[in-house]
Amino acid sequence: MTARLEEIGEHIVALLPRLRRFARSLSRNQHDADDLTQVAVERALRHRQQFRAGSNLASWLFGIMKNAWLDDRRSRARRGEVALPEDSGEHPAVTPADTDASLWSVSEAMNKLPEDQRLAIACVLVEGMSYKEAAEVLEIPIGTLTSRLARGRSALAAALSDEGKGGPS
Amino acid sequence: MKYDDETLMAFADGELDELQRAEITAAMENDPGLAQRVARHRALRAQVAGAFGNLLDEPSPERLVHAARGARQPAANTRRGGDVVQFPVRGSRHPATSWRGREWGAIAASLVLGGLISWKLLAPSEAMMAASGNSLVARGALASALDRQLASTQLESDSVWIGLSFQARDGHICRSFELRDAGTAGLGCKVDGEWKIPVTSETPARSGDVRPAASPPAAVLRVIEARISGDPLDPAAEEKARDAGWKAARR
Repeated sequence: MTARLEEIGEHIVALLPRLRRFARSLSRNQHDADDLTQVAVERALRHRQQFRAGSNLASWLFGIMKNAWLDDRRSRARRGEVALPEDSGEHPAVTPADTDASLWSVSEAMNKLPEDQRLAIACVLVEGMSYKEAAEVLEIPIGTLTSRLARGRSALAAALSDEGKGGPS
Repeated sequence: MKYDDETLMAFADGELDELQRAEITAAMENDPGLAQRVARHRALRAQVAGAFGNLLDEPSPERLVHAARGARQPAANTRRGGDVVQFPVRGSRHPATSWRGREWGAIAASLVLGGLISWKLLAPSEAMMAASGNSLVARGALASALDRQLASTQLESDSVWIGLSFQARDGHICRSFELRDAGTAGLGCKVDGEWKIPVTSETPARSGDVRPAASPPAAVLRVIEARISGDPLDPAAEEKARDAGWKAARR
C-alpha cells in the first residue's frame, strides 16, 4: 500500500496546477481555493482504495473537489457565516493591479453565477472537459449539464458585457 | 432551419455528431446571424479558458505538495468545515468507473500533458492561438508552421506536426495540425489572411516516441469530413498551394 500511496501521490502532485485552477474557478479567493484543494487532496488519499486503476484520476479528483466545495458552502451557511463571504469583495482573489484583467473580470462574473451553473462552466469552459466527462464529474445527467451550461453561459456573457460597459462595480 | 441555443452551444463545444455538424456548418454559410451566434459561444469559451490558462503556470504551494504526498502536517484548513465532513461513500460507483477504455498510460500522459495544454497554447509569451474577433486564430509557431511547413518534408523534431491539407467546400485551404508538446491537435483554415481554427482536441497519448500520428483525433476528423471537398492535397499540390499563399479557390 505504501508504494501505491507514493505512486498516486506523485500523480496528484502533477495534477495540482489543474486542481488549483478548478478550485480557483469555483472560489474567487486564492486562499480559499488552496484550502479547498488541500481538503480534496486529503480526502482523495484517505479514500484512495476507491480509485480504480485504469480510470481517470483527474476526473475522480475533480468530483471529490466538487463535493468538498458544496460541503464547505453548506457548512458555512449552516454556521451562519455570511452566506457567501467571497461575495463581499473584502478578500478578492485577484485585483486588476496584480494580475491580468481578463482573469479578474471573468472571476468576478463567474462568482455571480449560482453554484450549479458555476460548476458546469468550470468543468467545460475552464477545464475543457467533454459534456460526458463533466456530467460524470458532477454526477448529473448530460441533459441537466447542458441546460446548466447554457444558462451559465448566457449569464456569464451578460455579466461580462455589463462589466465591459460599466466597469467593475 | 431553426437551431436552439443549446444546439449551437454544443456545436461550438464540438459535441455534436458528424451529421449535425455538417448540417450546421452548411447552414452557417448562408446565415450570417447563425454564424455569429456560434462565434459568440466560441469567443466566450476562448475568453474563459484564456483567463484561467495562465494559472497553470503558477508553482504549487509547498503545503499542497506535502498534502498530495500524504505528509502529515498541521494544515491551515483544520478550522474549515469542509474538513470534518465525511467523504460521501457511494459504493463502487464513482465518476470514472464507466470509462474503462482508458489505459493507465493515457492517464499518466494526460496528468502531465493535460495540465500543460492551456498555458502552452494561451500563455502570452508563446501563444499559439488567440481569440480574434469571434474566432480562434493561429499565432506564433503554429501560424508559421501552417504557413510554411510541408507534410512531405517536415522533421520528426518539429514541434508542430502538419497532417492533411485539403480544400474545403467553401474553397478555403485547411490543414490539420498537432502540437506535440501540448498534446493538442486541430484544424486551421486560411481565411482572409489568417489561420482560423474551427476545432481543437486533445490527442490520445502515445507510448514512447512512436511517431508520427496516424490520424487526427475523432473530433478533428469529424470537422475535416464535414468540410473537405474531394481528396486531400498530394505533396505536389500542397507545395503549390503554399507557394500561392494558401489562396482560396474561386468557387
